[in-house]
Amino acid sequence: MNWALFPQFFVTGLLNGGPIALVALGLVLIFKSSKIFNFAQGHILMLGTFTAWWLLTQAALPTWAGIGLALVVVMLMGFAIERVALRPLVGQPLLSIILMTLALSQVMQGGAILLFTAQQRRFPQLFPLEPYKLPEITIGETTVRIILKQNLVWSFVIAMVAVVLFALFFQYTRMGLAMRATAEDHQLARSIGLRVNHIFGLAWAISGVVATVGGILLASLSGLGLELSIIALKAFPAVLLGGLESIPGAIIGGLAIGAIEALVQGLPKDSTIRSMWPIAPYIVLVIALIVRPEGLFGLKRIERI
Amino acid sequence: MALRVAGDFDTSYARDMATLRQPWHWWALLGFLAVLALLPQVAGSYLLGILNTIAITVITVQGLNILTGYAGQISLGQAAFMTVGGYISALLVSRLGLSFFVALPLAGLGAGLVGLAFGLPSLRVKGFYLAMATLAAQFIIPWFVRNAYRDVLNGAQGLVVPVPELAGVRFDTPNSYFYITLAVVCISTYVAHNIGRSRLGRALIAIRDNDLAAEVLGINPFKYKLQAFFISAFYAGVAGALWAHYTRHINSETFDLIDSVWFLGMVVIGGLGTSNGPIFGAVFVRLLREAVVLLSPALGRLFPALEANILAALGPIVFGTALMLFLIFEPHGLAHRWQVLKAAWRLRPFAH
Amino acid sequence: MRTVRLFAVRPLVLVLIVVLLALVACAPGAAPTPTPQPPTPTKAPPKPTPTEAPAEPTATKPAEPEKRTQNLEGETITLYHFGDISGPYAAITTPLVDGFNDAVAWLNEQGGIRGAKVEVVWADDGGNIEEAISIYNRFRTSDPKPLILIIYGSPELEALRERFVEDQIVTLTAGVSGEGLYVNSGWAFGWVPIYSDQFGLFVDWLVENWADVKPPQAGDEIKLGFVTWDTAYGRAASTDEAIEYAKSKGVEVVGVEFIELSPTADTTTALLNMQAAGANVIYTNTLAFGPANILKDATALGLREQMLFAGNNWAMDLATLALAGPENMESFYSLMPYLWWDEDHPGIEIIKEQFEKNQRPPQERNIAYLASFAIVDAARQVLERAIDDVGYDALDGQAVYNAITTMGEIQALDGVLRLEYDETRRAPNRARVAVTQGGKFVPVTDWLVTPDLRPQK
Repeated sequence: MNWALFPQFFVTGLLNGGPIALVALGLVLIFKSSKIFNFAQGHILMLGTFTAWWLLTQAALPTWAGIGLALVVVMLMGFAIERVALRPLVGQPLLSIILMTLALSQVMQGGAILLFTAQQRRFPQLFPLEPYKLPEITIGETTVRIILKQNLVWSFVIAMVAVVLFALFFQYTRMGLAMRATAEDHQLARSIGLRVNHIFGLAWAISGVVATVGGILLASLSGLGLELSIIALKAFPAVLLGGLESIPGAIIGGLAIGAIEALVQGLPKDSTIRSMWPIAPYIVLVIALIVRPEGLFGLKRIERI
Repeated sequence: MALRVAGDFDTSYARDMATLRQPWHWWALLGFLAVLALLPQVAGSYLLGILNTIAITVITVQGLNILTGYAGQISLGQAAFMTVGGYISALLVSRLGLSFFVALPLAGLGAGLVGLAFGLPSLRVKGFYLAMATLAAQFIIPWFVRNAYRDVLNGAQGLVVPVPELAGVRFDTPNSYFYITLAVVCISTYVAHNIGRSRLGRALIAIRDNDLAAEVLGINPFKYKLQAFFISAFYAGVAGALWAHYTRHINSETFDLIDSVWFLGMVVIGGLGTSNGPIFGAVFVRLLREAVVLLSPALGRLFPALEANILAALGPIVFGTALMLFLIFEPHGLAHRWQVLKAAWRLRPFAH
Repeated sequence: MRTVRLFAVRPLVLVLIVVLLALVACAPGAAPTPTPQPPTPTKAPPKPTPTEAPAEPTATKPAEPEKRTQNLEGETITLYHFGDISGPYAAITTPLVDGFNDAVAWLNEQGGIRGAKVEVVWADDGGNIEEAISIYNRFRTSDPKPLILIIYGSPELEALRERFVEDQIVTLTAGVSGEGLYVNSGWAFGWVPIYSDQFGLFVDWLVENWADVKPPQAGDEIKLGFVTWDTAYGRAASTDEAIEYAKSKGVEVVGVEFIELSPTADTTTALLNMQAAGANVIYTNTLAFGPANILKDATALGLREQMLFAGNNWAMDLATLALAGPENMESFYSLMPYLWWDEDHPGIEIIKEQFEKNQRPPQERNIAYLASFAIVDAARQVLERAIDDVGYDALDGQAVYNAITTMGEIQALDGVLRLEYDETRRAPNRARVAVTQGGKFVPVTDWLVTPDLRPQK
């Protein structure tokens, strides 16, 4: 094991976990309000980031306007998805809803190719590529160097801010309270005069925006392609690890998944174990499912007939 | 319940149990099989290639239907279990020199056991939690065959799979191979149909509809869920082995996550928890895809600047849209449509 | 009454089923199938040795009166190609289609193949092997049977290689894994040297020029590490043969690290591990965002002073340049088994002319457009040679196979691609080493011969 590199691996992992956490946050938001697990989250993010890319490079809008407009587009997309695809399925079994989100992901994949082609693109740089460097620490023989990629630092910061904001939102605003009530019981919420459909739509819109912010930060770091959507495949274990209903859980799960990946990839001596890093999140997932199915911060539900 | 013609009464238990109730059912089945059996002698390999693909898909979707349709357990790992079956059969034939026809059920068995392992979380979780556990299979199994025992599994390059042989006949063209897939699909359909109406099938349906109630009725949900996982993965393993010997090559990328998604889509489009649903679903989706591949160059020619994009985009869009439309407008799938059609035929000229 | 009839029918039905099964069981061997059965023996592992004697040049053969080799006006020859134009390799493959179409249009303007008009039929398999096989079945049974098929991907090659042999269809492939071209294969021919050969040539060159090219902080010993994708393609250069070869040349291979096949892959960990293992050369068998992310992260980590970065031929392309930026791609080495757009050459002139004439977008001015344009010309030469050998009317797969394996070097468009095959060789063995300088790809050597590192099985 190469302990001198441990701090760098750990920090790299945590930072890579930032965008994963943002995607996971979006998943939790949708699940909290509507009990839908959205397999299309990665594709919403990909399409949103492509939209931002188009507005910034092809339509040559200024950065703030381009990104702002892209986020508005994603919001509208969120409302539209909820209205067109998911509202007809209210009351349908879980499988139908899961398949609907999978079908949506396929449509969005094709739509992205049609609109933006399958080419990989360079996203305009939002922050310099030059990383932040922490001062070197020398302990005995080994020197510990840590660098932080600026984009990832910002997505980390945004993830943190988002948690606080959403925590406050759910705790103190009427809308947040309404969303929580809706999640608890759709019919009850409707009977006390909440507009359940609006709340669902809003959850989809917000979660799309949060994920797209992560997507934009990632893309401006390393580039943009259809495969951007696969980041959601890491967010799924993150969400289950953190607990499906927990916003802090999503963030911690995301960061943990990032850190686990980097540490498995970096630390072990044996190269076969090192090459295990892409499946490490899933091994963690399986263990979590067997040991603690509700996740670290999730709610344990007791079922009665 | 399906309507019967007037005068068709059950006069014995055997008759009550019969699937083929009328003489003409037998003749129709026989005629259908005869047409299929004669097809390789008259049709080209393009058609037979499609039929092979459909038949193999039908088998794996039938397995998934038992797990997802009857037992209500969502699996995103069906393609991974096909990988297991393909590798096992390839190794048994090429390394141990077994006949393909012996290796085929063993491949199913091996895949079934692996499926059982990934079904274990169903002890504690269900719904999308379980979907996640099977999604894990979709990542862990390909990693395993790519990295473990590289001298046997040949790493990322995968294996060259021998052509099946029986009594000196080599099944090396789509036409000749169709006899194998046809035979297997007949057996698998027979078994799947009977699972659906046996004690096992009824127990699975009870678990799907309300697992707590089922448990109260004395059904051990864990046992039956695991049986469903085993059967489903067994079917996938057989299908994977058939596919591997058909293409004569398998590696960790042969069956991927998107295939699993398509299989689930086929189950729903065909009709969840029906015995003919998987056939409808697989045929419909495969033919849809074939049509897209055939038609898209023509469509591309209308918009030459977008030609490549249209080709690439059309497949996912058409599949996704078809699935969405089925989910919204016909959640019971084509099998239900077929029942309605049959009922309308019986009741003509009256409306249903 | 019905019941009685039912039971009366059942034995008859059973007998019929038995008869049917018997028919089925003996059918494939006994009945003559209408599909073209390959005349080559299918039993033995298909070593690429034609069963018939290689065709002699026209002059030595007894001239048949009706053998047509010229003035084929009114005839058409169809070229078939298919592959994945939407997956992770899209940046490379999408322009292939345009290059192909433009080349065929140009060829027809020049008079086609001996006057015969060239047509193109193609399809996208979306990276799905089931679809690829279906497309192949459709193409191979189309009338007339394809003489030359062109594919782009290693997965398609690996899945169909035995079929090409059985159906006797010469296939030119851009995906050049050694496994796909040499194991149970024989009728597939690569456009460029196989990935392990490319790596071998790079090692040859590196050993000779290390003193001149080594980064300032790298040591005198060459320690090489692979950073690549965990896919069949990503691993195609780091084969056992290739690693053995590097060792024999005194290059220590310190390890293979895998990065994610994603535009957002973070390669920090992989690179730091390589640094810890003492690597001073990083070789990658990835393309587009693969090398781009490695180069960007290496710059961010300050590793460019310690390590030299290189990749296979597809790595040095516009997609990489666009994603990494010219400043980060500076002094990235690669193999270049073709002439590049910037070179002064009549063949390149033709490609540039057609590119502008068809108003292709600038991001398509890449390797795929160039190579597929040239490969059409290579296909023309092979077909013309086969027509010379046997005459247009007797043209078949075997004739094309004999032509391509006996005609020596094929200079596509006067040398934009230099292909050479023989009885056993299934990919060319010549390439140049090139480097990125100021956003341009500049060859630094003349054409060199690669070592032969095909899989030894």
